[in-house]
Amino acid sequence: MKTRFVCVGALALLLFAVSLLAQTTPAGQTNPQAPFRAGSPALLGPPTPTGATPRLPNGKPDLAGVWSGGGPVGDLADGLAKGDTIPLLPEAKRVMDARQSKDDPEANCLPTGIPRIAPYPWRIVQTPTHIFFLFEGNIHSYRQIFMDGRKHPDDPDPTWYGHSIGKWEDDTLVVDTVGFNDKFWFDFRGHPHTEKLHTIERYTRTDLGHLENKVTIDDPGAYSRPFTVTFTARLRPNEELMEYICQENNQDVKHLTGPARRP
Amino acid sequence: MKVHMALPLTVALFAISATTTLAHHSFASEYDADKSVELKGVVTRVEWTNPHARFYVDVKDENGQVTNWNLELASPNVLVRQGWKRTSLQVGDQVTVNAAMAKDGSSMANARTVVLADGRRVFAGSGSTSGNQ
Repeated sequence: MKTRFVCVGALALLLFAVSLLAQTTPAGQTNPQAPFRAGSPALLGPPTPTGATPRLPNGKPDLAGVWSGGGPVGDLADGLAKGDTIPLLPEAKRVMDARQSKDDPEANCLPTGIPRIAPYPWRIVQTPTHIFFLFEGNIHSYRQIFMDGRKHPDDPDPTWYGHSIGKWEDDTLVVDTVGFNDKFWFDFRGHPHTEKLHTIERYTRTDLGHLENKVTIDDPGAYSRPFTVTFTARLRPNEELMEYICQENNQDVKHLTGPARRP
Repeated sequence: MKVHMALPLTVALFAISATTTLAHHSFASEYDADKSVELKGVVTRVEWTNPHARFYVDVKDENGQVTNWNLELASPNVLVRQGWKRTSLQVGDQVTVNAAMAKDGSSMANARTVVLADGRRVFAGSGSTSGNQ
């Protein structure tokens, strides 16, 4: 019975796929009736594993692994709690409304900053003194989080990833970051920020396959109050990072048109 | 001898049915998802590069005029994870491509499916948006 159900489901999926493939037109002709949606195969792959949160010998959660997601991609507002809104200041709204898709730093092969995440895998590496986030894309870069108890510098030079210090609060890794530049966008929509940005990320590995990132954004230069967005990364078992040098052959920018918008 | 991989059915289904986009730029800012085009022609060049693999196809119109189309795929990493190789598509291959056209009117499109003359499917689901999806 169960087998029959699976077979029927597979057949339905196949028919659906074939019906989409059939929506083609003669050579060189466009067909407005044939909607096309790009897939996201990089975020597919094997199912997210289930199981208990793995732990280090010292009892703290082991966050190591290759992950997907865990931050905004298309729209920062996707991470808001129900009923909450993004408290944009008028000037920040003007900046956002004027942004053009071609100017998105990510489209120009520049870093995502925080908390934006690219739709590519990334790895967490834990050591006693540092935690590293290694990003496959965009760009092939890394974050370093100091776990040795140091404080932020008094006047850090503004950078794409800022200065990050981390500590454990029970089973949650709390990462406090200041010293950002104002160059990166929070998402494809172009949500802005200033150099006053201060982020507090709270990472909780809720089970084997999921890593929740509850991040508070505090930027009195762009937002009228601190607000919190939550995104969840999924473990990609048996995955390795691969090289991704975005600058190699980036032809897209000159073809991007119109205002900043989600994908 | 050319080696072409058969696309696993499950991957094909997922790639076609998924609605999220994946790239380093906004897909909708570059391509019109509702403006599909079918192109038949000969592959003239393959670029196995980031942020997107690309291939170029000479397409002859009804008047015999040839246009070289620039067709975008996902990144090589995404393609490799789907099971493709840099040799899956080669110069000289006769292909039929279903793609989403660029909004700026250029001879550029985002390839949705690529089928060889003998019916073998070599690429599908470019997933090229987003974000660098």
